[in-house]
Parts: sequence; structure tokens; C-alpha cells
Amino acid sequence: MTTYIIQRLFIFFPMLLVISFLVYSGLELSPGDAVSHMISPELASTITAEQLDAMREAYGLNQSFLTRYWIWLTSMVQGDMGYSMAGGVAISEIMVKTVPATLELSMVALFFSTILGCSLGVISALKRGSGTDNSLTVAGMAGVSIPEFFFGLVAILLFAIELKWLPVGGRLLPHYETLWDRIPNIVLPSLVLALMMTAGAMRYARSSMLDVLAREFITTARSKGMPEWRVNILHGFRVALTPVVVLIGFRLPLLIGGSTIIEQVYQWPGIGSMFIRSVRASDYPLVMTISLMYVFVVLTASLIIDVLTALIDPRVRLGKE
Amino acid sequence: MEDKNNIALSVRDLKTFFYTNNRCNKAVNGVSFDVEKGKTLCIVGESGCGKSVTAATIMQLLPTLSRIEEGEIKFQKDNKIINIEKLEKNGKEMREIRGSDIAMIFQDPMTALNPVYTVGFQISENLKYHTNLNKKEIREKCISLLNDMGIPLPEKRVDEYPHSYSGGMRQRAMIAMAMACNPKILIADEPTTALDVTIQAQIFELMDKLKKENDTAIILITHDMGVVAELADNVAVMYMGNIVEAGTADDVLRRPTHPYTKALLESVPVLGRGKNQDINPIKGSTPDPYNRPIGCQFAPRCNWQTESCDVMPEITQINETHQVRCHKYEQFFEKYK
Repeated sequence: MTTYIIQRLFIFFPMLLVISFLVYSGLELSPGDAVSHMISPELASTITAEQLDAMREAYGLNQSFLTRYWIWLTSMVQGDMGYSMAGGVAISEIMVKTVPATLELSMVALFFSTILGCSLGVISALKRGSGTDNSLTVAGMAGVSIPEFFFGLVAILLFAIELKWLPVGGRLLPHYETLWDRIPNIVLPSLVLALMMTAGAMRYARSSMLDVLAREFITTARSKGMPEWRVNILHGFRVALTPVVVLIGFRLPLLIGGSTIIEQVYQWPGIGSMFIRSVRASDYPLVMTISLMYVFVVLTASLIIDVLTALIDPRVRLGKE
Repeated sequence: MEDKNNIALSVRDLKTFFYTNNRCNKAVNGVSFDVEKGKTLCIVGESGCGKSVTAATIMQLLPTLSRIEEGEIKFQKDNKIINIEKLEKNGKEMREIRGSDIAMIFQDPMTALNPVYTVGFQISENLKYHTNLNKKEIREKCISLLNDMGIPLPEKRVDEYPHSYSGGMRQRAMIAMAMACNPKILIADEPTTALDVTIQAQIFELMDKLKKENDTAIILITHDMGVVAELADNVAVMYMGNIVEAGTADDVLRRPTHPYTKALLESVPVLGRGKNQDINPIKGSTPDPYNRPIGCQFAPRCNWQTESCDVMPEITQINETHQVRCHKYEQFFEKYK
């Protein structure tokens, strides 16, 4: 197991390097550069080519592609993420502001959707064909197919505007001091995000559970005189869990990137909206940092999935012992 | 039959029906037999004739679409007679009998063990629910059970997962699991079908030893006539949900009186008779359970069929132990005597 994790870590860094180069090249190929985004359209006609070149030189954009990549890489390795070209703010500062906001939202959503999705899926499977199962199936289908922005807007309309139970959006306001003050703000966005994910997890847990309940070792467990809860949960769900864990694990990176729409709907100051802005502005340092972070999360998530499946299912043997 | 105290389980007129798409499959249609203590009863027959359903009925492990229609399953426990068919399917009393008084081993040891728990854990579950042993005693018992089953290095093997066991070892582990609480009855549903022949012999030897040592009654479900000849004390031949012939192994194997039994015996090659021996497979196949022949179920495939076979024959007692369900058994018996 330990050797396996170490092996994976060895691949980890070369992969980060390759992907960072690919993203950098992609940015280079896209039309326009940071300077062309800095100048407002009204000024564009009055500015001379010399002035533009001077600006490019000031930002170091006139150097060759490889040189710039090398400079970026060496400073990144030293822990210097650089400054945003669009705003001049240190990227580390932007990250400190946005990453916790996104993580907060997605962690809450992941937590509730996992617990709710698994338990509803198991109930649905155990009561197969009953009214409960059918209504959960319909709800699951609706949850999977309704787009999240629509669901988010309806929730705002209902709970924030009509019923006035919860705030419309935002995360932190100046007068918010305690954790308690902040909870109402996270309820709606995390709930909407969680409900979408619950639907998928539930359908997955249900089919996986049905599959396992038909296996012979379930009959064996019953033939030993085990009570039903033990047969279903200890023998059934434990085995059914493996594919569900894989599904949830693959959602970890989605949570960082995938909450973009919900962040927009609820004006959540997270990383998703920041990423969109930085790509539009060809803000190399910021785009690079955020995309590297995505890559990092994806790679970490797949490592976590591997370790978890090995823990749950002893047949999955990792590395050589 | 004889002395009532010898009988561990008595099944009378048992009917188990399956209901699918508004149709009824009479999988077990009036079966009666007794299982004696310390004896092996072999239930034989073709696939789909109700052998496994009979076993599942005794354990109340039937799938949801089936139910016990009528009949009695009387089980003797601590000098009391319990009617198993009256117990709630997964209720407390039924669960107390399962695993401790009546245990079961299944056909395919590859799928019958839970892949995510150690073999030791799966054996210990049984002990945990049916005995008062503490953790340490349970572990010791698990190891000694595995040792009894001839598994090498039981102290190490007890903590291993089923996937690191071979097929034969898994079936031994299954038997260890079933024998953990010294059950009075062991139901083995084709326990060696998935194993190769050398392992088969070892498993049967083991079962025979357990039967002798613990006075366990064994219900062995099989379609292998060789196994029957080797192990059975009593034999019941089933066809389409009925027992067509029953008796001691000697009665049924040496003096078969039902054309179906005879046909079953003739369809098996005998070792040592060479390539030129006559093997007569039974002609045709088992009828559609939803579209059964009227009267004797075997009649359409039987060489002895007459008009009288349109009526279901009653059970006839030939001697004290031997019974048959056939109109023509006297003529049949005469011919092959």
C-alpha cells in the first residue's frame, strides 16, 4: 500500500509539469494577450504601436514563449505564484480569498449528498417496487435532468424572495461575525448543489445495492441466522459501497470546478467565477495557478479513490507486497 | 416411520409455489420425507425438479415471489416439535434455528462467501449469534474448526480473505461455517458441483466424518448418482415437484421400481465398463412447469405409459422402507427383478 502511494506520487509531479506546459501553450495559441485586454476599447484607437510594445516589454511579454514558461515555472517551484496581470493583486492573496469559499460550499454539499444519496439509495433498493422506491426514482430522475441554474433560481424565488427565509446570495457581509451569522447564506447554494449530486449518488447506490442483494453470499448470511439489518448493511451495503465510492471520488474535482454555475447564481465569491474572468483576460499567472490546482485536485482525488477502494474491498490489491 | 425419536426433521405434504406474471409454478407439489439423525438423505433428480426449492423451504430462504402453500415441516428441538412452516420468515425464532440447528452449504463456494470479510469473521458471525462464547473463545473455535476441516495453517488462514482460498478450501470454509454450532441437520445443496473430482471426494469424506462424529443428519441434494451410491443412507428421487420413489439406498439403487429412477441410473456411465457400454439418456426434457402433463408427470417421457397414467398415481408402500409413485410398478418390478 505504502509503496503504491509512493509510486503514484512519483508520477504525480511529471504529470503536473506536462499539464502545466500544455495549458501554457494553449494560452499562447489563443488570440490576443494580456495587454490587449488591459486597454479599454475607447483608448485602443489613440494608442500607438510603440506604446503597446513598451507595455509588453514592461510585463515581459515580448520574450519568447519558452523563456516566459521557464520564468513562470522556476518562480512557481519557489512558491511564488506571481501577480494577477489584470488586477495587479498577488495571486496568493486571490487564492486565500476564493479557495476557502469554494471549498466551504462544495464540502458541505458533498457531505450531505453522500450521506443522503447512499441512504436513500439503500432504502430504495430494499423496498424495491414499493411506492417509496417509485417516488424516489421519479425524484432522482428529476434531480439528474433539471439543470442546476434553473433549480437554483427557483429556490431563490421560493425561499429567498417569496418566503424570505434565507438570503438571496453572497457569502460574507461586513457585519457577519460568528459562524452562526454565516450559516443562512450557505444553506441555499449548498442545498441546491447537494440535491443535484444526491440524485446521482442515489441512483448509483440503488442499482449497486440491488446487484449485491441478488448475490449468493446474502443467502449465506441469512442461512446463518443473521438479523435482516446485518444481512443488508454489513453484508450487502459494504460490498455495494465500492462503486459508490468511486463515483463520489470522481466528484471531488468536479466540486472545485463544477460549482461555477451555482457560484454565479448565488454570487458566491469562489474560484469558479474567478477562473472564468482570468481566462477572458488572458491572465496567464492566474489561469496557470487555478488550472494547476484543478489538476492537483483531480490527481489527489484519484489517489484517494484507489486507497479507499483498497480499504473497502480486499480483493483490490495495490502494488506488490 | 419407525421410532419417532430418531427423526430429526419430518416433512409432510409440503407445497411451495412460485408466482410470476400471474402464473403459478408448483415447484414443490406435495412432498413428504423424514430425515433420520446421523443419516444421509439424498434428494436426486434432474435440474428444475424442485430439489433446491425443497431445501430453501426448510430453511425458509425462499425468494419473495414464492411461498409455502401448505404442508408441515416438523423439526425436533430439545424434545419439542417446532413447526417451521408456521414461523415468521425472517423472525427471531426462525433465525435462531438457522445456522445453529439447521445449517446449509451451497453449490458454488466462489460466490457463497462474502468477498470483503475474512473467513474467520464469517465463521465467527455464526458463533456470535448462536453461542455465549467470548471473543477469544470464538477465535479459538474458528481456528479449531478450520483445522478440523483440514485447512493448513489455520492460525494464519483464519485472517485471510476468501479470494486467497482455493475452490476446495472455500467449500471447506463453508462447511466449517455451517458446522460451527453443531447443527442437527446439515443441508448441502449440490456442494461439489463447482469443484473438481478429487476435491469432491475430500469434501464428501469430510461430510461423512462429521455425520458420524456429531450425529448430524445430512440432506444432500445432488444429481450425481455416483455420489448417491457412495454416501446415501436413504434416497428420495424427485421429479417435477413430487417424490416419485423413496427408500433406503439399497432399495432405490439396487431395486428401482419407478421408470424414472431406472432411467436416471441408466443415463450414467459406469467406470470400468469400457467404451461400449449402453448409456441411455432420458428422452425429451422436463416439461414446462406452467404447462404440465395431467396425471403422472413423467408419463410423456416414459416407455411404460398407458392410459391409466392420466391419473396421478398415489404413493404405494412396497415394503417397510421403500415407496413408489407409479401405476405400473408391479409389472416394472417383475421385469427387472
